[in-house]
Amino acid sequence: MKILVCVKQVPDMESKFRVNDGGKWYDEADLALRMNEYDEYAVEQAVQLKEQVGEADVTILSIGSDRVKETMKKALAMGCDRGVHVVDDTSYAKDPFEIASIIAAFAKDHSFDMIFTGMQSQDRGSAQVGVLVAEILGMSSISTIVEFTFDNGQVTARRELEGGLKAIVKAKAPALMTCQLGLNTPRYPTLPNIMKAKKKELLSVEVATLLQVDAVQETTRMYFPEKKGGGIVLEGDVGNMVNEIINILKDKTGVLT
Amino acid sequence: MNFQLSDEQNLIRNMVRSFAEQEIAPSAAERDEEERFDRELMFDKLGELGLAGMIIPEQFGGAGADYISYAIAVEELSRVCASTGVTLSAHLSLCANPIYTFGSDQQKQTYLVPLAEGTKLGAFALTETNAGSDAGGTKTTAVLDADEWLINGSKIFTTNGGEADTYIVFARTDQEAEKHHGISAFTVEKGTPGFSFGKKEKKMGIRSSPTLELVFENCRIPKANLLGEEGQGFRIAMKTLDGGRIGIAAQALGIAQGALDASVAYSKERKQFDVPITAFQGVQFQLADMATQVEAARLVVYNAAYRASHGLGYSKESAMAKLFASETAMKVTTQAVQVHGGYGYTRDFPVERMMRDAKITEIYEGTSEIQRMVIGSLLVK
Repeated sequence: MKILVCVKQVPDMESKFRVNDGGKWYDEADLALRMNEYDEYAVEQAVQLKEQVGEADVTILSIGSDRVKETMKKALAMGCDRGVHVVDDTSYAKDPFEIASIIAAFAKDHSFDMIFTGMQSQDRGSAQVGVLVAEILGMSSISTIVEFTFDNGQVTARRELEGGLKAIVKAKAPALMTCQLGLNTPRYPTLPNIMKAKKKELLSVEVATLLQVDAVQETTRMYFPEKKGGGIVLEGDVGNMVNEIINILKDKTGVLT
Repeated sequence: MNFQLSDEQNLIRNMVRSFAEQEIAPSAAERDEEERFDRELMFDKLGELGLAGMIIPEQFGGAGADYISYAIAVEELSRVCASTGVTLSAHLSLCANPIYTFGSDQQKQTYLVPLAEGTKLGAFALTETNAGSDAGGTKTTAVLDADEWLINGSKIFTTNGGEADTYIVFARTDQEAEKHHGISAFTVEKGTPGFSFGKKEKKMGIRSSPTLELVFENCRIPKANLLGEEGQGFRIAMKTLDGGRIGIAAQALGIAQGALDASVAYSKERKQFDVPITAFQGVQFQLADMATQVEAARLVVYNAAYRASHGLGYSKESAMAKLFASETAMKVTTQAVQVHGGYGYTRDFPVERMMRDAKITEIYEGTSEIQRMVIGSLLVK
């Protein structure tokens, strides 16, 4: 069985963010980086599936500059077998379609039986890449899964819907899963496995060899929401306050005329 | 010169930090209050993560990591619980490591492998009532009787005492020899007839780490349990403590970092005169001093660890690291209590525990005065 897991390196969400000079992304200087939380669930599920079926090979794929290798090594230490690093110093500027196309271009010749991705990245948060990959590859996908079982080529997944609803979805392999919080508890990469990860294969592929599409979206501006004013506090006699509210609604809104 | 940690060292820090914050930290205050050691949490789980034998080569059940990784692991554990930090340091630096360095192949297979795999916990018994800094004053005796050593005497202040399975015990084997030359080292297993535990110390800090008296009354151990050569005990003890100092220095560094982190977080939350106290330069200056000292301590500790990993001499550097980091821990935790004000003096905040925990790092595995003697004697020799 061949399994692919896609992981992204993101800043620790406790970090203090600043918009960068270009105004379209955050400034990456001085940020502590880690594996995208949802991708940790993806890695854990892939490793659990490997443990279940016995014979499986798990490839970890990550796009970015050299520094993403540290995150890839964590995935290797958690039990993935090999890594493919798509070298791209400007991956942050690519839209979800470009990212998905890069992954699909790599995956199409490798006949993966199962692909796991995070439900979304913690920094961009588009939640599009996983399902786009499946679409480009023409395989079925189940998004936002919180439970996963695999039996005889068939996946049964529980997905999370709006308003607390859950749905059970079945699909035949090959299939792609996007993983949500609650799916599993990612294991700690043990020290011996961290040491062994050093010896696992970690191939580098230039992004230009995989990217053959143009972006379909453009981020035009990134900014912090403007701080709202403090609001108006009315005090005193109830009758006077009602009159004041009516005046304010007339003056400042279109609710009353 | 490169101050960057490797990817592996970063991964180890992140792994130990996650484990420490999620699993060790929640019970740290309670275990301190109850003076309770939790073997499953504070040792067995470290074994599962591969930390129990991290600097021991793979062929003996370890992970073959370097000393910087080891310092990072002890630092991260101690950042949330100094008792857990010293459990690992005493086990690995003071028990597993000397068996690796001085043990026979047979001793390595019998004693080192389970210690490194984390199925057995280790301890080191050197100190006696009248032999503290003056380890040459050891009075416990070991006499060869046919194929067995007969041990009599007692040891005090043994970290991991009572809980540990394997003990390295120092005893006088030659009454005639000059005092440093008549001491030998032995491995003694818990449960050996004649080996029992005495008083459990009631301590100021590291209260979740057990500190016990060991009692030997006609305790017979096989002749083969002699570690190294007869009369080599003092040298084994000193060499072991050189390495142990890196562990305690890392523990002190972790305590100081924990106190700094708690102080920064608290001072952002705490409001006085309608503003967070971080708005006051007086508080910022205290935090700045604390952070600067912690950073300096980290550099001396990692430098000693680097030298130990690269076959460079490190007696002086590990003594400097232990001296500087432990005094930093005491200063920084005291300042941390000050930043917290009255709340810092209560057990509702962790800095009170950290200040109590810091003090021992200036005392055990060589007091600050002994470290100065080591450094001074190496400077003028």
